[in-house]
Amino acid sequence: MATDPSSVANQRVVETLASRLRRRQVVGSRETALETVLVLRQVISKVRFSNIDQLVEIIRSVGRKLVEAQPKEHTVGNTVRKVLHHIREEYHTASQGTAVVSTSKDTLSIAKFVLQGQPRKQNVPQKTTLNKSQVMLKENDEDDPDAFARTLKPVLMEAIQDVLDELETVYDNISKNAKDHIHSDEIILIIGKSSTVEAFLKAAAPYRKYTVIVADTAPSYSGHDMAQSLSSAGISTVLVPDSSIYALMSRINKVMLGAHAILANGGMFAITGSLLAATAARAHSTPVVVCAGQFKLTPQWNLYHEYGALDFADPSSVLGFEEGNLVDKVDVVNPFYDYVRPELIDAFITNDGDHPPSSVYRLIKEAYDDEDYEL
Amino acid sequence: MSATATITMTTLPSKSTIKHSPAQSHVEASSQNQPPKSQKQMTKAERREQQERQRAAKAATKVAGPQPSGSNQNSAQAKNSASVKKGGKGPDGKPTKETKETTPDDSARGLQIFSHFGLPKPPGPSKGDIHPAIIRLGLQFSEFKIAGANARCIATLTAFKTVIQDYVTPPNNTLSRHLLTHLSPQITHLVSARPMSVTMGNAIRELKLEISGSDIDLPEQDAKNLLCQKINDYISERITIADQVIQETAGTKIKDGDVILTYARSSVVEQVLVGAWDDGKQFSVVVVDSRPMLEGKKLLSVLSAMGIPCTYLLLPSIGSVITEVSTVLVGAHSLHSNGAVFSRAGTALVAMMAKQHSVPVVVCCETYKFAETIQLDSFTKNELAPAGDIFSSFPLTRSKDTLTLNKQPNLEILNPLYDLTPPSSITAVVTEVGVIPPSSISSIPLALGRTTL
Repeated sequence: MATDPSSVANQRVVETLASRLRRRQVVGSRETALETVLVLRQVISKVRFSNIDQLVEIIRSVGRKLVEAQPKEHTVGNTVRKVLHHIREEYHTASQGTAVVSTSKDTLSIAKFVLQGQPRKQNVPQKTTLNKSQVMLKENDEDDPDAFARTLKPVLMEAIQDVLDELETVYDNISKNAKDHIHSDEIILIIGKSSTVEAFLKAAAPYRKYTVIVADTAPSYSGHDMAQSLSSAGISTVLVPDSSIYALMSRINKVMLGAHAILANGGMFAITGSLLAATAARAHSTPVVVCAGQFKLTPQWNLYHEYGALDFADPSSVLGFEEGNLVDKVDVVNPFYDYVRPELIDAFITNDGDHPPSSVYRLIKEAYDDEDYEL
Repeated sequence: MSATATITMTTLPSKSTIKHSPAQSHVEASSQNQPPKSQKQMTKAERREQQERQRAAKAATKVAGPQPSGSNQNSAQAKNSASVKKGGKGPDGKPTKETKETTPDDSARGLQIFSHFGLPKPPGPSKGDIHPAIIRLGLQFSEFKIAGANARCIATLTAFKTVIQDYVTPPNNTLSRHLLTHLSPQITHLVSARPMSVTMGNAIRELKLEISGSDIDLPEQDAKNLLCQKINDYISERITIADQVIQETAGTKIKDGDVILTYARSSVVEQVLVGAWDDGKQFSVVVVDSRPMLEGKKLLSVLSAMGIPCTYLLLPSIGSVITEVSTVLVGAHSLHSNGAVFSRAGTALVAMMAKQHSVPVVVCCETYKFAETIQLDSFTKNELAPAGDIFSSFPLTRSKDTLTLNKQPNLEILNPLYDLTPPSSITAVVTEVGVIPPSSISSIPLALGRTTL
């Protein structure tokens, strides 16, 4: 009942993104997150609903479709969860404006803490913007089914804009304290091309003189692009093949990695080669620092280190067809991501501050709602 | 007498400047035997004069703009002057090294710790009378047509057999003394093509021992034949037969259903795997490969031609497959007295990952690869691959221009060829005298009743 007239339009938008994800025409955590937010904004602006549960269900179904299209792009699901979280927050503050203010929360017992799940939300002070909309939130009104939607939509649009803003300013926020993490004459090891790490290093470059060693990162060789970009920014760069990571590790002061997704136990999926660098760093007691935006926090686990949890890419970059007679006799493996255990990582630098892997679970609890972990 | 004196004066300075290139101690040892003491002092003064002249010339060329051959001479000069122990040459070395770095500011500051590697220079015009077989060998080395510790050693010894057969003792000289000086420039030429491997060093040392111990009374042809025979014996005993023993011993470590992981291409490991397959064992092989040399592809073609089921992947992907592997077999370039294995770059990573997942790491190494020195890290003694893409190691899925980056300001490209695996990552070393833990390599001579390995 709620979405029938606009369901066709909505579905088209969602279907387009789903097929692009399936065909890997949109790749990369930040790009997929941005696309997802834009699609959700379109869906919400056109959708019709008369109570909060319907809205949540609609968004959930959109999320489910997108996640099924490409389960390895975790930021799609994360963005949907984030939007849901914001929606619920806005709804609660709006509905508290109408209902009697509930009794104070001075009895913050452990039981309540555990049961509520998000104690912080209960203590959120009234937003000043909401004073305007002290209007009655008419849910399930038969004569005016759109009343609820009408009053809530501008607020929702603001919430989505918040999410979009956060995504767009990720690099700036992460690089804010860049110069505090790097000292002069430091030698830093980088794997592959991560735009977050790149922004971080470029932000520190005018304040500190340091050297960056970039590993090739076969078979994507994204290290070459990274080296090119860093050296043209004036940072002294050394490009080495991956085979020399252990050889050079004893002289390296810090290892900086980018993440594809941060898992709930503090581990992460990162580009292949990160596990090698992190393990070699652990063998030499070198700190490993991961720069990632908060949109990469995923409420999922990789307990059994499933081989299938990795994503596999085109094997011809490993053994091309020019090797003719070898191609059909040999198995070629080209995993795109590595799983790095939380014990190998020392710190996550996010746009919301720096955190050790042991407090990632807390960040996830604050960022998303419990009921959204399974979309 | 005076004629010979002048000859030595003009030829020795050029020889002596090469003599002190950062090559091996045995080169210096052989050259010190030959000139008498007074001449050595005279040539030292000569050398000083020449270096003053060349320093002035260099300053002139620095203004004009350094040419590649000029800078080669400069860097050779820099190394020579840096290694001369008598004072005053230190500052000579530094300025020439700075001119090699194109950026005048300190943008290359952090990279100075690798600057001693020295990029390989193309083999210069041959000085003195170098045997054509040696010239050919030098070219093959510098283009990596012959690569690998065993292959290089065998090729060197075979070339030396030709040199010895073609050698004629000059009158008033004995074979045992003069042959050594005859061989020195040949060795230097090879070293300038590519730094000496430990195997070549050990073999040449044995050869020199044989030469200096050869009987003076033997007619020349017999002495030469004896030497060639000794060389053949060395090759067959220490390399060929040793490899067969290793093949059998390591083959017993392979059982049906095993998954063997190997890195890059070791001639010994190839023999072990081929031998085990011929014995009828059913196993599969994972070949891990990496830049800069991508040698694993050759091993892959040999193994898959025999029908062995193989998997091929690049080094960064090793974390995903290591859990399925039962044994790791690698080869070595040399073994040091502290048990560390000096091997192809990347072996240390493979051994480290394997150790993490409790997979045994077995190194197959002949005893003649033992180096008496101790090496603590991978850069005090290493070799860089030449710049450019001589191994065509980049995939065709990306355009070549983005991949072959040249040196720009702020960008340096290093391709170290070797690295050091610490003894803690190694489970066992298989040699022709048995399976030993890595730190026991230095006790083998004692156990066998010999004085040297």
